[in-house]
Amino acid sequence: MPVDIGNYIALSTVMFFIGVGGVLLRRNPLIMLMSIELMFNAANLLFMAFARAWLANAGQVFAFLVITVAAAEAAIGLAIVVSTFRDEKNVDVDEIRLMRG
Amino acid sequence: MSGGQHAMGVDGSYPLLIALWLLPLGGAILCWAFGPQLKTRAGWVACAAMAASLFLTALSWGAGTQAAGGLLGAHQALLSWIPGSFDFGLLLDPLSLLWALIITGVGFLIHFYSMGYMDGDRAYARFFAYMNFFVFAMLTLVLSDNFVGLLIGWGLVGLASYFLIGFWFDRPSAVAAARKAFVINVVGDVAIMFAIFAIVATVHSTAFGDAFAATGAYGPGLLFAICVGLFVGAAAKSAQIPLHTWLPDAMEGPTPVSALIHAATMVTAGVYLIARCAPLWDASPSAQLLAGSIGGLTAIVGAILGCVQWDIKRILAYSTMSQIGYMIMGVGVGAYAGGVAHFFTHAFFKAQLFLAAGLIIHALANEQDVRRMGGLRTKMPFAFWAILTGVLSICGIPFFSGFFSKDAVIYGALAHGHPWLYAVGIVTAGLTAYYMFRLLFVTFLGSYRGDVDPVELGMRGAALPPAPAAGGHAHAHAPAWIMNAPVGILILPTVAIGAALMAGGEGSPWARYFAPQFAAQTLPPAPISEIATSLIVLLAVAAGFAVAWQRYAAKNAQANAVVRLRDESLRMPALLTNLFYFDAVIDLLFVRTSQLFGTLVARVFDPHVIDGAVRELAEIARSTGTLVRSLETGLLRAYALILAFGAACFIVYYALAAGGLR
Amino acid sequence: MIAFWILGAIAIVSAMWTVTAKKPVYSVIALLVNFAALAVLYVTLSAEFLAVMQIIVYSGAILVLFVFVIALLSSGVAPFSAGPNRMPKAVAPAIAIVLAALGFVVYATLGTRIAPSGRAPAAATLGPVGTAGVFGSVADFGKALFTTHLLPFEITALILMVAVIGVVLLAGDRVPYVPTRRRANEVERSAREAILRGGE
Repeated sequence: MPVDIGNYIALSTVMFFIGVGGVLLRRNPLIMLMSIELMFNAANLLFMAFARAWLANAGQVFAFLVITVAAAEAAIGLAIVVSTFRDEKNVDVDEIRLMRG
Repeated sequence: MSGGQHAMGVDGSYPLLIALWLLPLGGAILCWAFGPQLKTRAGWVACAAMAASLFLTALSWGAGTQAAGGLLGAHQALLSWIPGSFDFGLLLDPLSLLWALIITGVGFLIHFYSMGYMDGDRAYARFFAYMNFFVFAMLTLVLSDNFVGLLIGWGLVGLASYFLIGFWFDRPSAVAAARKAFVINVVGDVAIMFAIFAIVATVHSTAFGDAFAATGAYGPGLLFAICVGLFVGAAAKSAQIPLHTWLPDAMEGPTPVSALIHAATMVTAGVYLIARCAPLWDASPSAQLLAGSIGGLTAIVGAILGCVQWDIKRILAYSTMSQIGYMIMGVGVGAYAGGVAHFFTHAFFKAQLFLAAGLIIHALANEQDVRRMGGLRTKMPFAFWAILTGVLSICGIPFFSGFFSKDAVIYGALAHGHPWLYAVGIVTAGLTAYYMFRLLFVTFLGSYRGDVDPVELGMRGAALPPAPAAGGHAHAHAPAWIMNAPVGILILPTVAIGAALMAGGEGSPWARYFAPQFAAQTLPPAPISEIATSLIVLLAVAAGFAVAWQRYAAKNAQANAVVRLRDESLRMPALLTNLFYFDAVIDLLFVRTSQLFGTLVARVFDPHVIDGAVRELAEIARSTGTLVRSLETGLLRAYALILAFGAACFIVYYALAAGGLR
Repeated sequence: MIAFWILGAIAIVSAMWTVTAKKPVYSVIALLVNFAALAVLYVTLSAEFLAVMQIIVYSGAILVLFVFVIALLSSGVAPFSAGPNRMPKAVAPAIAIVLAALGFVVYATLGTRIAPSGRAPAAATLGPVGTAGVFGSVADFGKALFTTHLLPFEITALILMVAVIGVVLLAGDRVPYVPTRRRANEVERSAREAILRGGE
């Protein structure tokens, strides 16, 4: 294999943390959801790389399942965004206080 | 089981035992359950139960004294818990037969007497229920063939005693006395329990026969410990120093109770226990020395304290304590037949003294202070003669019952090699004569002082007896025949039973009766013969009588009785008025320390440790809640950050602790 | 090798763009680029089926969904991120630790080779993408999915169904929309009154 698996891990980690940063720093719920998609894809990349390294297609199957879950997650997340912000003037997650303890 | 010592009865059942054992319980249940319906008939029910039990006991004489195949008495198995090592059963051998006879016989007379004494009491039926229950408990104690049954009876008589001392539960003093008696008795119960533990741990059986079969199995240290445990129990029940303080207070109970429980039967349970466990004591000379010494000490201390009491029942209570000291001394040093003989005669004459005192108390509307009596000889001649015979008997005047048994104990102490106890016994005999004649003289001679101002007599205001209970009778009226008859019947054994049974030394019926029970003893001849001992004792008694006569019965003393009594009351040394400070010392040693400990717990441990822990837990929960609540910002991104932070912590952990990712 | 570096660079840059874009639409476009780069990477890792899935499902379905929502929310001319930043300032150390972890992982992994441990790799043939029967081919993948991993696959169906129901419940008209606590109380009160009136 021409590319060391460590490089895939590094790439995946960087992408993952970019996603983390997006979730943490952005207040636009849509961009936060997209950051989450980024994290999913970082994880998928790792699955793929390890499946290739181990020559075991369980990793690919799992990545497939992740894609499915990601689709479900995106659908529900967007539904929540829509239902939450339909009547609001602003779309800002900091303004949602329903979970306040 | 050497030398004719038998602890297990002849094999085979003897169902009569169950009947005589359970009859008083049946009477108690009847009186208790149907008291309101029975009313005064409760007394007759109780007496009938007692009479039947007495009759059956007398019928069992032959069975109880039979000896066959090395076994003595009659045995009836009841139930087997752990076969071979833990069986309940009833055993009637000469020792328990004697006790059973006294319990049912004297018990019957006192029940009969109570019908007169308790007449008009609000809780007439309850009284008889308790009395019958007591008799049942006492029979359980003496008829049991194993230690556990004995301990059950031991506890039950303590319970019955508690009920009866506190019978007039509207008197705070009676309640306090009942509680005191119960608590001190429980100390003894626990000690016996530990002794039983030690026995069971060694011989793996609770039966008397197994426990006594091989006394060598225990080893001297453990045997001494067992004997001490048993003796602490005996001391608590039999009012031996230092566990005696409950007995004088127990006089708060009705007089028949004092006669039956706190003179004739229950308080002698300690004597029974030591006599029953004779093989153990024989094998442990140091335990014998302990028991004999405590007995002698109790005898003389009780006698001294009896000399300074004014309450007629308390005088008799200290006298009881002193006489039980004699008994314990006797059985303690190994003179079992003598000690048991003193129990036997004491049961009669002390019951008689108490019942006769009860006649006076009843007639004087619950007046118990002898200073407010006086001159009763002409008003109550029957009581006078009854008390006189009792006094003569307890003093050991020749040919009265007490003469034989007391001299047997005193001589036994010398014969078993305890000259000091011998001397103590003689001194005590003199003191006994003094305080008993003092009681007689002050009560019956001179003129009646009931109308004299109590302060004139040196009585403190607080020492006044409680107001007469409900149903108090008119002044100095003649008691009914119901009360006189038992006293009259008791005069007979008080005077004559000693001469009838115990005269004649080794060949007497008494000695023959107990010959198979206790191991035969060969003793070196005592330096002072039995006849000489009797003479010395008589000398001491004469001295005591002379002092009492000079102080209370001489013409001059009778004329100035009021002044002299006041002087004696007021000039009494503090040591004696405070009863040698036994209560104070016990109070200081146990009550105060536990109170202090309790206070410590209540003031420091409880609020700061227990409550503190609870409060701190609540505080921790609250502050944690506040802390966590501050995390619950409702800010979505903060939650995400916490998640990421946690994940990062995992990574750092693996990087540092788990050896890195490489 | 070179492909990896180029594609990695594209992925990282587009990811950064996704996160930093001012408007969500730009984010979507950047994410599309990212996904495409990843799809190519998947091909280099001989996961041909998943590369295709990446394009079809992610780019074709999910991202389109995002675009629709953006369109829906933007119709009310709602400015995004208008309120004050409520993130507590005290979280800086936490962010520092997260960044440190990132740095550590990148440092520790970049350029390293991790040999497969434990069980030996399955005997599978490698070959050019598109060849039948090699590792990662559609047939190979499908066989694994419908035999060995059938149960997870079935569970996926369940998850999707739950998601569909959830979306209908969340975004449908019949569920009261609850933005604030005050509104929640109002809704609850009206619901209670409705019940008290007899469930009309």
